[in-house]
Amino acid sequence: MSSSATPASSVTAHAQLELKALLDTAVDAIIIIDDRGRIEQFNPSAERMFGFSAAEAIGQDVAILMPEPHRTRHGDYIARYLRTGEGHVLGIGREVGARRRDGSVFPARVSLGELRTGGSARFVGFVHDLTEAKQAQVDLSEAHRRAQSYLDLAEVILLALDASGRVTMINRKGCEVLGFTESELLGQDWIGRRVQESAREAVRSAFATYLESGDPELHANHETPILARDGRPRHIAWRSSLLLDDAGRVVGTLSSGEDVTERRQAEEEVQRSRDRLTHVSRLSTMGEMAGGLAHEINQPLTAISVYAQAGARLLKGDGSTDTAELATVLEQISAQAIRAGEVIRRLRAMVKRRPTERTTLDCSQLVGELITLAEPDARASDVVLQVNLVDTPLPVHVDVVQIQQVLLNLVRNAIDATVAAADAPRRVEIRTAALADDNVEVSVVDNGCGLPEQASERIFEPFFTTKTTGTGLGLSISRRIVRDHGGRLYCAANEPRGAIFSFTLPLSTEEHP
Amino acid sequence: MNKSTTTVFVVDDDAPVRDALRLLLRSTGHSVESYASAQEFLDAYADDRPGCLVLDVRMPGMNGLDLQDRLNERRAILPIIFITGHGDVPMAVEALQAGAMDFLQKPFRDADLLDRIAAALEKDAANRRDLLEIGHIAQRFEELTPRERAVMELIVEGKPNKVIAGDLGISQRTVEIHRARVMEKTQAGSLAHLVRMYLRLQESA
Repeated sequence: MSSSATPASSVTAHAQLELKALLDTAVDAIIIIDDRGRIEQFNPSAERMFGFSAAEAIGQDVAILMPEPHRTRHGDYIARYLRTGEGHVLGIGREVGARRRDGSVFPARVSLGELRTGGSARFVGFVHDLTEAKQAQVDLSEAHRRAQSYLDLAEVILLALDASGRVTMINRKGCEVLGFTESELLGQDWIGRRVQESAREAVRSAFATYLESGDPELHANHETPILARDGRPRHIAWRSSLLLDDAGRVVGTLSSGEDVTERRQAEEEVQRSRDRLTHVSRLSTMGEMAGGLAHEINQPLTAISVYAQAGARLLKGDGSTDTAELATVLEQISAQAIRAGEVIRRLRAMVKRRPTERTTLDCSQLVGELITLAEPDARASDVVLQVNLVDTPLPVHVDVVQIQQVLLNLVRNAIDATVAAADAPRRVEIRTAALADDNVEVSVVDNGCGLPEQASERIFEPFFTTKTTGTGLGLSISRRIVRDHGGRLYCAANEPRGAIFSFTLPLSTEEHP
Repeated sequence: MNKSTTTVFVVDDDAPVRDALRLLLRSTGHSVESYASAQEFLDAYADDRPGCLVLDVRMPGMNGLDLQDRLNERRAILPIIFITGHGDVPMAVEALQAGAMDFLQKPFRDADLLDRIAAALEKDAANRRDLLEIGHIAQRFEELTPRERAVMELIVEGKPNKVIAGDLGISQRTVEIHRARVMEKTQAGSLAHLVRMYLRLQESA
């Protein structure tokens, strides 16, 4: 602080000391000028800020602290104010450029006040260096810009919703996928407008539940059909987190989403192909069994026919027909018709194309129903089909037709293998077992020709076959079906000869009805 | 033909078919015995019981063709009518070659079955008559002494007494005596009758 003269007219010595302390300790530069713009006071902060010492500055025109154009015009500003009383800067802060001694310019906030002491006007200026603040602001906007570019570069959709479900942020990818501009989407009721109607209620309640959880560690994964501009739903797989404010209140959600529409479509296409193949393979198996099944239907038809003809003969006979006997005949006819119908019903179930449908039932029921289909085939090939089921209930949750297809396939193979082995007695056994690891094992055991050693894994490959007829698809499809059910399909040699094919199924925890 | 002395044996593993056949055959006056398996029938059947067999081809364990083989081995003459589902042509051929009477495809008209059963029973009766006759003939021929038998074999070859005497190194008179004994023991009314009986024995051997 300079010790130069200060007008002392009405200032006490005490006040002078206080003013000096104030000026010395102020962080901002404090500069007092007279009505011609000459510097009267220049505090230590001003010295540091501008690079002039107080001694150098005092008496100079304050314009030296300003860059152009203010540098040349400043004199006019003061003159105009003094003449008209109109000031653009007095009493209000303003951001301006300030000039250091070395000519460099820095951003500053300047507040001006007029000091009316005595006759002539004097002005006091507070100058706050904004260099750091500006830098921080630049850093912030840089960070923001960078963040935005990250958001935009991201190959995933990034979406922020507020607690009412309105869009507060969506990145470029999100706009691209949906075919909207950012401004069209911002503020939009996301669930009400963008979620496909069929899923809307579920999503709305899930969103509410998620917000209520208030747990920022809880991530929600869900797949939602989202309506794009063209009205077609896109399947988006989302992973969401809660957004909390500083007080820990839930303010919304942030989600990253991946457009899985094509993947889903491809998966669905693969599934459809598999279903077709499974169906064709089933048909092929059924075709191989047609002879046996025809026999199975022919038997009740024969019984019906013979009963009916016998009944007719009884009626046409000597007139003393035993009506009780006739009633028995008619009951038998009915029972045999139902028996034939049952075979056809089973057959239809196997031949029909239908969507996958899982139900819970006992393993023994699964095997039992299959026997109706497999038995005639076995009989036709002179094979004794034995069934050995464990007594305890073994509930499984399966697509019955598909698992029966697997079983049928294994039984068919076993029958063929025993026929190929030529020597009697031909035996095929179906047995169930409860494994220690909460799995059920169903095995088909034969005393047939066994497996060629080198073929034991190849038999599960598509189109691999050791038979002269057959598609070579049965086992590969069977293995896939079993895998889809969470089980395994494998084979081993039987002693002294033949093969054992087994598959596992997880025990269902569901209560068997 | 007497239905009361003949039996229609039915072998079919399918209980309703078996039961229906029993009812049909009973209603037409036949006496019926039915069996659920080939083995059961084999164990129960005595070869001298007349009748016919209605046999299902496809059965677990021993099938119809196996049963036919076993009966042939036993020289049982029971005529067999096979009944089968469709599409068993190779089996039908095999069965007929092995001497089956007939082959009926299920389901069948009762008249077809009953006609075939009637024919089979007639054939069985004829076979049994025949068999009985051959038995009698054989019995008579067995009464011949070795010398008489030797003379008989040369007689049926059509050789005159003189040639037979030369062949056997005996007198023509001795041949005449043996010849008379042969005709008497075999109850042959003529040379032609003797030849016929001799050929039947040869055929059935």
